[in-house]
Amino acid sequence: MAKKNKVIEYSVNQVPPAGHLFVSSIQHVLLMFVSLGFPVIFSSQIGGSTEFAANFIAFSMLAAGLGSIIQSVGLPFIGSGYLCPNVCGPSYFSLSLSAAWVGGLPLMRGMIIFAGLIEMALAPILGKMRKVFPTFIVGLVVAMVGVSIIKVSVASLFGVAFQGDAIRSTDIVIGMFSLMVMVLCNLWGKGFVKMYCLLIGMLFGWVLACILLPEYWHNLLAIKNIPMFALPTIGPEFKRITFDFKMIIPFTVIAIGGSLKSFGNLLAAQKISEPDLKEPNFVPIRKGLLADGFSTALAGLLGGMAVDTSSSNVGLAGATKVLSRWISVGAGVIFVILAFFPKLSTALSLMPKPVLGAALMFAGCFMICIGLQQMFSEGWDPRKTFVAGIALFFGLSTAFLPGIYARAPQFIQLFFTDPLPTTAILSVVLNQIFNFDILLKKLKNKDGNNT
Amino acid sequence: MFLLKKWSFFIIASAILLMTVSFISGCQNKYEDLDLTMYEYRDTKDLVRFVYNAALILEKDDMKSLDYFRNNRNLFKTKDYYLYIYDMNGTNIYHAGMERLEGKNLRDITDKDGKKAIQLVLKALEDKNNPHAWVHYSWWEPGKFYPVPKSSCHFKVQTPDGKELFVGGGLDYPHEEKEFIRIIVDGAVQLIEERGQKAFADIADPVSQYGYRDVSVFAFRPDGEILISPVTGDKLSPIQLLECIDEVGHKPFEKALKELESKDRVWEVFMAKNRYQRRLVKKCLYLRKTVMSGEEIYVGAITDLPQPS
Repeated sequence: MAKKNKVIEYSVNQVPPAGHLFVSSIQHVLLMFVSLGFPVIFSSQIGGSTEFAANFIAFSMLAAGLGSIIQSVGLPFIGSGYLCPNVCGPSYFSLSLSAAWVGGLPLMRGMIIFAGLIEMALAPILGKMRKVFPTFIVGLVVAMVGVSIIKVSVASLFGVAFQGDAIRSTDIVIGMFSLMVMVLCNLWGKGFVKMYCLLIGMLFGWVLACILLPEYWHNLLAIKNIPMFALPTIGPEFKRITFDFKMIIPFTVIAIGGSLKSFGNLLAAQKISEPDLKEPNFVPIRKGLLADGFSTALAGLLGGMAVDTSSSNVGLAGATKVLSRWISVGAGVIFVILAFFPKLSTALSLMPKPVLGAALMFAGCFMICIGLQQMFSEGWDPRKTFVAGIALFFGLSTAFLPGIYARAPQFIQLFFTDPLPTTAILSVVLNQIFNFDILLKKLKNKDGNNT
Repeated sequence: MFLLKKWSFFIIASAILLMTVSFISGCQNKYEDLDLTMYEYRDTKDLVRFVYNAALILEKDDMKSLDYFRNNRNLFKTKDYYLYIYDMNGTNIYHAGMERLEGKNLRDITDKDGKKAIQLVLKALEDKNNPHAWVHYSWWEPGKFYPVPKSSCHFKVQTPDGKELFVGGGLDYPHEEKEFIRIIVDGAVQLIEERGQKAFADIADPVSQYGYRDVSVFAFRPDGEILISPVTGDKLSPIQLLECIDEVGHKPFEKALKELESKDRVWEVFMAKNRYQRRLVKKCLYLRKTVMSGEEIYVGAITDLPQPS
């Protein structure tokens, strides 16, 4: 126990001193800001006015902040009670945009509420699937959560905003420098430096970016005309909610994918928060999934983007060993407050992309390795090799070969979407198929014993 | 190591940030007069800066700078673009990529589609609506044998001894910028306002500046009747623009027309299929309202939008 206390800086239920709580929360908030690019892009894509964009971002921040609080504060029936904040979910982005084009913001809101309800309905089902999620599949799912952020983290580290655009060597230098500062502070630093390695890396990276590329500094200057304090106003777009039956299937599929991703995030949060657990405890997972669905529905109700649990924040908690759920609550509170301070929130959202990429990569490393460790923590056999291997082949191929899936039959396109849901679904199905003989033997033995 | 303790870390970092801010604020930026906010891609911005920089050198050092350009060809040639200088008669004075063109008059040279690139450049340089004189045509890469699409920007330079030249550079396989269709649609609207229906033949001409690659300017009446088709060479194509839907059931023309009731120009995003991508790709319609012989008509064009990385 003494050894464990040495490793963990703040355990899941421990309340850190006010200063540490605040700085750790800020560290998580900076990582959460990565996702604010989605409501910004969303507003521009639907041709929203500046006022609409400001309100939409504020409502999205409110939803993510409240979601983080609900997830971690430790309510009796809802919320995992782990450090697992909410961010604007990238998985819902494209579909939300489609809904907004077809029926404006009211339809997008309605469909997000629907997706949130689906996620809530899935929570007890996934929570009871202990048998279909043996430890090695749980590890695989957690590892895939880390894998799923590879694309966005590498593209950001290289400073690339659009497909096929130029890459600047300076951006790579900034990204690699930030990453090295984070990693070395984590490896060689102690206490304060280790705990805030990501914050230190981000700060140094940002300074270097302003020195090497004045563009980043000029971007910051642009915030001078933004008001410091503003209350979001409820415009006509935010007053109606509609539904469309044609959108039920795609939103159901994306809700299942979102639930699986949150399932992986919550399992990872549990693994790092309660390392002594021999097998997953599905009660907090179920409550966490319920909170995730509730937050998504709340986002629709408020008029913001759908929210999702954040893989990178769970990775950061694993990296720093600062696991207190109160930090997630603190980050949620800060996110809610920042929703009313557009100048500050815009300044933070202008953090250079390579620095953000480095932060995501840093956090992703832990997710991948926690998952792999869990995967191989128990005895291995050929069945597991084929379950994990085939699931990985198909799961990763969705990212490596998107062109093939673009021409695949509709049924395959529907389920083989991204590496995480594809690997998770396939591994569960294959595990049942490849262990069918064992199940039959058990049934025969049971019959034999009965006769 | 003591410096790395407690809050001193943040104090030092803040001090560095403050010094950086003061340093950068004091620096003069030679691109201050160059507005690049209309471009989305870094490649495009880099090219405009590259050509602008050469124009500044030529403007400052007169024809002497040609020796500098010639002695440092590698500085003015990258794997994506290179610099060239012409006089206003179309005679090539300097070419960083194709040295053999120097001294030749290319005023009448045509690309594989019949576009007279140099003449289009000379026209673009006089067009206030096209601040960086963009021209789109087909060319070829130095040492290669197949045509490549190209978008080039240009700056007119008056040397201290009074000579007028233009400096340019072009991207091979360029990105589709929204600014490119803004230029051609606004230009077409201006032409229609000046010349009425007679302008249609020029706008629909495939070798004019109003069309490039898959992009072309089209026009229609409020009831949807086609004046210049967006998809064929004649206006008889049976296409009901107002009824057209995109891949997610969105009616971009119908929505754009509704917005044009209170505006004179609108950008409308819609989704399209792409054979090589499983997700739909974003495209954009730029539509303007104008008046021709007392009748309200709409003029527009469609382009691709940047896809997030």
